[in-house]
Amino acid sequence: MSQNSIILKLISLPISIILICLGIMTVLGGHITPGGGFQGGAMIASGIILSVLVYGIGNSPLEFSHLYVEIFESVGALGFVIFGLIGLFVGGFFLYNVGTDILGIVPQTIQTILHYPDVTNAGIIPYLNIFVGLKVFVGLSAIIFAFAGFKKIVEEDE
Amino acid sequence: MISLGPIIFGLMFGVIIGSQIKLNVNDTHFTIGSFILILIAGIVIAWQAGNFPFYIDLPLSTAFLSALIGIFVGKLIFARSK
Repeated sequence: MSQNSIILKLISLPISIILICLGIMTVLGGHITPGGGFQGGAMIASGIILSVLVYGIGNSPLEFSHLYVEIFESVGALGFVIFGLIGLFVGGFFLYNVGTDILGIVPQTIQTILHYPDVTNAGIIPYLNIFVGLKVFVGLSAIIFAFAGFKKIVEEDE
Repeated sequence: MISLGPIIFGLMFGVIIGSQIKLNVNDTHFTIGSFILILIAGIVIAWQAGNFPFYIDLPLSTAFLSALIGIFVGKLIFARSK
């Protein structure tokens, strides 16, 4: 499945790294700029996909193990649910923004702990973006690893 | 005031992804010079992209740059060869 062009092999890893950085930037700016967790995660996964398509599934510099995919997929989903439950138990609503606390019902210590450290008053929205981004990037990467692996098996059978 | 959020979480995200980079699996050789070139290109891209709205601490994208640094740090510290 890999490409034989040396130019592609030389340029695709740097482009993958730049794409991944752009994706992370999109995830982290999701609360003030267009984008967010899903879009940024898909951009990060596009960097991984480029690397897998050019180098092939066994030779790609960017390749994740099954354990890695399992861990970060779970961390992304669990983090989102845990932040939702914190809002439910502390503020009374699922996914209540306890970092910003518009209704004034959250203790000051919890509000300070869960407040995202930047100049905007975003509360827990960036954390939710980060968890969604983590889950989407690992999930989409797992899909392309599975497809590339199936294709390799079919090619070996023929 | 420096916004620490994008710097901290960009570094964490970068380390998570950079820890999986393996360079000895194909016939293309990436030396330390290649990574210095990628870093310089990344600084130029971060400067041209600019920072997020309301972030007036630095004229370049701190999230992009910290992600790039995180990838290199993760690759150097945690990446294992096959």
